[in-house]
Amino acid sequence: MTVGDIHVLEIFPILVFFISFFGLIISRNIVKAIVLIMLMQTSVILFWLGLGARLGNIPPIFQDATEVYDPNTIADPLPQALMLTAIIIGIAVTAINITLLNALFRKYQTVDWQPMQDLATVDERPES
Amino acid sequence: MAIALTTEILLVFWVVNAIWIVFAKKTYRVMIFFGVFSLITSVIYLFLGAPDVAMAEAGISAFATIFFIVCIEKYYSRGSGLKAEMASAAKPRNYFKLVAAFAFVAMLCGLFIFFVPTTTEYAYTELRDLYLFQFMRDVGGRNAVTAIYLGYRVYDTLFEALLLVTAVVAVIHLSWFDRTIVADGRHSEVERSRMTKFAMRIVCPIILLFGMYLVMNGHISAGGGFLGGLAFALFLVCRFMVLGVYDLPIEKAMKLEELVFINIIILPIFAIFTGFIYFYGYATEMFQNIYLIAMNFLVGLKVAFGFFVLFYRYIAIERLPDKEEVVEAFDDGED
Repeated sequence: MTVGDIHVLEIFPILVFFISFFGLIISRNIVKAIVLIMLMQTSVILFWLGLGARLGNIPPIFQDATEVYDPNTIADPLPQALMLTAIIIGIAVTAINITLLNALFRKYQTVDWQPMQDLATVDERPES
Repeated sequence: MAIALTTEILLVFWVVNAIWIVFAKKTYRVMIFFGVFSLITSVIYLFLGAPDVAMAEAGISAFATIFFIVCIEKYYSRGSGLKAEMASAAKPRNYFKLVAAFAFVAMLCGLFIFFVPTTTEYAYTELRDLYLFQFMRDVGGRNAVTAIYLGYRVYDTLFEALLLVTAVVAVIHLSWFDRTIVADGRHSEVERSRMTKFAMRIVCPIILLFGMYLVMNGHISAGGGFLGGLAFALFLVCRFMVLGVYDLPIEKAMKLEELVFINIIILPIFAIFTGFIYFYGYATEMFQNIYLIAMNFLVGLKVAFGFFVLFYRYIAIERLPDKEEVVEAFDDGED
C-alpha cells in the first residue's frame, strides 16, 4: 500500500461500511441506526469517487477551452454527477426515516428496538 | 505527497469517528461525531477533485444535523426519551451474540478487502474521455459535472426531482399536523438569544447572495442547482430562526414546488429531447448557457422549496402530542 495509492481509498470505505454494519447489528437506539445508515451511504459514495479519481487530481472544470489537458490528471466527472444525485436522495430518505421514527415514538414512547418490538407484538395479539 | 499524507491521517480519524459513533452511549455525542465525520468526508472529496460533491456533503451534513438535533430534542423534551435511552444503554449485553456478530462482519469485511483491490483498479472508462472532451461542444458550459447532470444524463435529474417530491409527500403524510405548537399558531415558543439574532441577521443575506452566486455560476465553476438550492433553503431556515414566526405560506410553497417540477420536466423536453442543444453550430453558446442557467435555477428552486417544506413541516410545525391525545388518536383508528 503505497502512499497516495488508490488502495487507501478502497480499504478505508470498506472498513467504515462494515463498522456501520456491525453497529446496525448491535445498536439498540433507532436514531443511531439512522445515522449509521447515513454512514454506510457516505462510505459507498467515497468508494465510488475513489474509483474514478486519484488524490490531487484537478476538478473537471475548464476555464480555457482551447488548452489541451492530460486526461489522467483530471477526475472522472461521471461518478461525481451520479454521487451528487445520490447525496440529495440520501438526505430525502433520511428525512423520511426521521419522520417515521417520530411516528413510532408517538405510538410507543421509546426509541429502542427491543421494547418497541415487544409492544408491537402485544398490540397485534388480540387481533389475530 | 502532502495531500496523500493528509488524506491518510484524515482517513484514519474518519474510521475512528465511525467507531465512536457505533459505541457512543448518548445520541447527542453521535450527532457531534457525525458532524466531524461529514467534515472529514468533505475534505477528502475536495482532495479527489470533486468540489461539487464536497460542497453538497457539507450542506447536507448541516441539514441532517439540524434534523437530528430537533428530532432528539422532540423526544428528550418529553423526558421519557432520555430515560429510555439511558435504560437501554445500561442493560447488560449478551457478549456471545456480540462476538458472533463481530466475527460475521469481520469475515465479510475480510472477504471484501481480499477480493476487491485485486479486481478493481483505477476505473478507466471511455465515457470519461467522451464527457471530458466533448461536453463543451455538446452541452456547453465549463463544468463537466453540470454538463452531465443537465445534459447527458438529464433523466437522472428528472427522477431525482421526482424522488424529492415523493419524499416531501411522505413526510407530509406521516407528520402530525392538526395543531401547531403554541396558542396563536404563529410564534415559536423557543427562546432565542439576542446574540444569535444579531449574528443571523448579518449572515442571512450573505447566504442568499452565495446561493445566487452558486446558481448563476453553476455551469462555469463548482456549484450548481443542488448546492444553490441548499443555500436558499438554509437561508429560509435561518430566517425562521431569526424571526421565530411561522408566517410563510407553506401551502403556496408546496404548490410552487409542484409548478417548478413541471417546468423541470418541460424544459429538457424542448431543449434536449428535441436535439436542440446537441446540434453543433446550430445551438449557439448563448442558447446553451441560457438553458444551463435556467435549468440550474429551476433545480435550485426545486431543492430549496423541497427542503424548506421538509424543514417547516417537520421541525417548525410538527410537535409531540400529550399522552392522552395519543391514546385518543389511536382509539379512533387514525393510524
